[in-house]
Amino acid sequence: MIRLEHLHVRVGAFALSDISLEVPQGGYALIIGPTGSGKTTLLEAIAGHARLGAGRVFMHGDDVTDLPPERRGLGFVYQQYHLFPHLTVRQNISYGIAAARRNGGESATRVEELSDMLAITPLLDRSVRGLSGGEQQRVALARALAPKPSILLLDEPFAAVDPSTRQMLRRELQELHAREGITTLQVTHDFDEALRLGDLVAVLAEGRIAQSGTPEQVFRYPNSAFVARFVGSGNVIAGMVERTNGESEEPFRGRFFGGGLQLDVVANREGPAHAVIRPEDIVLSLRPHPDSARNHMTAQIVRIERLGPVSMIHLDVGRPLIASVTSASAEEMGLRPGGQVVVAFKATAVLLV
Amino acid sequence: MRLSFSAPRLVLSALGACLVLFVVGPLLRLLIESSPGGLIQSFNDPELQSSIVLTLLTATAATLLAGTLGVPLAYMLARYAFPGRRLVQGLIDLPVVVPHPVAGIALLLFLGRRSVLGGALAHLGLEVVNHVPGIIAAMLFVSAPIVVSGAREAFRSVDPQLERVARTLGDNSWSAVRRVTLPLAARGIVAASILAWARSISEFGSIVILTYNPKVASIYIFDRFTAFGLSAAIPAAVILLLIALGVFLVVRLLQPGDPA
Repeated sequence: MIRLEHLHVRVGAFALSDISLEVPQGGYALIIGPTGSGKTTLLEAIAGHARLGAGRVFMHGDDVTDLPPERRGLGFVYQQYHLFPHLTVRQNISYGIAAARRNGGESATRVEELSDMLAITPLLDRSVRGLSGGEQQRVALARALAPKPSILLLDEPFAAVDPSTRQMLRRELQELHAREGITTLQVTHDFDEALRLGDLVAVLAEGRIAQSGTPEQVFRYPNSAFVARFVGSGNVIAGMVERTNGESEEPFRGRFFGGGLQLDVVANREGPAHAVIRPEDIVLSLRPHPDSARNHMTAQIVRIERLGPVSMIHLDVGRPLIASVTSASAEEMGLRPGGQVVVAFKATAVLLV
Repeated sequence: MRLSFSAPRLVLSALGACLVLFVVGPLLRLLIESSPGGLIQSFNDPELQSSIVLTLLTATAATLLAGTLGVPLAYMLARYAFPGRRLVQGLIDLPVVVPHPVAGIALLLFLGRRSVLGGALAHLGLEVVNHVPGIIAAMLFVSAPIVVSGAREAFRSVDPQLERVARTLGDNSWSAVRRVTLPLAARGIVAASILAWARSISEFGSIVILTYNPKVASIYIFDRFTAFGLSAAIPAAVILLLIALGVFLVVRLLQPGDPA
C-alpha cells in the first residue's frame, strides 16, 4: 500500500503541489500526464531521492517520509534502465540481493527464478553492454524485483522499446504483477497503457493531480477539458450552457452554444463549459430518420482512419468532429471522403465539464 | 579518411612535423648517445641506485597521499554544488601555474623549522626540509592538481543516476559509491595517479630548494652534470628517461582509445 498525503516537492523552477493518492495493497496504479507534468519527480519523491517541501509518504501504513531510499523496500525501474555497465547481467540482477544479504537474508536462486520468468537466462553471463532495448528492460525489471520489494515504481518502462516488444513486456509485467502481488505505481504519458494495465489512474497536470479514479471513470467522465483532451475522450468543444425552460431543479435541459454548434444537453449549471462527445456515442446514418437522439446535423466526411476493426471518421460539421464506427459498417454504408452523412447523438451523450 | 594533398593540408602537415621532430629528436638523440655498456656500468653505481629507489618511493608516497586526500575532494567537486566550489577548483589548480622554484621557496617558508607548521612537525620529530618528507611535500604540491582534476573528470563521466538505482536496491550512500561509482571511475583515477606519479618523478625545481640531499634522480643528474660534465650525466639521464617512457606507455594503454 502506498499513501501520499499532500506532497509538495520543489525541484529547481518546477514544483509538485498537494499530491494525495492512495494505491491499495497489490494494486496497479498509473500516473499519466504530458511531458514535464512532474511524473518522474513524483516517483523520485516516493523513492526518497527528492526532498519533500511538505507532506507525508506512507508504505503499508508506516510513515517512511524520513527514511533513506535503501530502507523503503521498493524497486525502481527507470526509463533509461540504468543498468550497471561494469557488471554482467547476473551481477546486475543479484545486486540488490547481495545488499540484502549483508543485512541478513535472501538467497541467490531468486536470480534463476526471475531470469526464467523473463526469458533472459541465456543472457546471464553476458555484459550488459550491447543488449537490445527490450533485453535491457527485462534485466532492469529482474534487478528491481530480485530483492522482493513490496512496492514497484516504474518510470515509463516501455517508452524506449519498439511496439511489438512493448506489447510483450506489458503482458509479462501484468503476469509478474499478478504473480508477485506487488503494489505497483507506473508513470506513463500513454492513456492507452493506463486503460490496459491499471486499476487506478491519476492524471497529472502542471504538478497537480487533475483527476484520479478507475481508468474507465476518468475516460468516461473526465472532469475538465484538459483531462478529456489528454485521455482522448473524444471531441472537446468550448462554449456556453443556457437554460431552455424555467425549471429550477438540477439537472435541467438546456442548450449548449459553441464551436458554431447548438446542442441539446442535460446540464447542472449555466455558463461557460466544455462539451465532451465521445466518438462511439455518435451515430452515423445516410439519411435523417426520427429517433430519440436529440441532436441531428449534416456532416461532410473529411477523412477515414482505419484502426483495425474500428474506423475513426473525421467529419466537418462547421467544426471538426470525430465519430467511430465499426470498419464493417463503414464499409456497408459506403462511407468515403467527400461524402455526406447524418450525425446524431443523444443530449445525455454530451458531457459538460 | 581519404588522403589528399591540397596546399593548406601540406602546410599544416609541415608545421606539425616540425614540432613532433623537435619533441622526439632530443629524446632519440639522448638514447642513441648511451651505450649498453655505459648504462650497465652506471647502473652499478650505488649512488645512482639509491637515488632511483628514493625517487620511486617518494613519488609513490606522494601519489598515495594525493589520492587519499584528493579523490574524496574530486568526488565532491564532481557531485555536489556547494558554495565556493569554483574557488576550491581554482585553488587546487594553482600549482600548475606556479614556477617550480617559486613553489620550492613557498614550501620552504611554510614548512621550514622557523615556520609554525614546520616547527610543530620538527617538535614531533618529523624533519621536513633537507629530509625525505621535504621531497614528498614538493612532489605532493606539484602532483595534487593532476590527481584531483583527473579523478574529478572520471567521477563526472559516471551517470549519477546509477547511484540512485543502487540506493533503491538497498545500498546506503557510502556503499553505492563503493560498489558503483568507484569501480566505474577507477580507470580514470588510476590513469591520473600514474600521471601524478610521473610528474613527481620528473620534479626538480622545488625539490632542489627544499631537499637537495638525499638526492632524487633528477637532482642526481643535475649534480653529475655540474660536477663532472655532460658525459657523466648521460647514463643516469637515459635511465630516468626509460622509466618515464615506461610510465607513459602504461598510461596510454589504460586510457580508452581515440574515438577516431
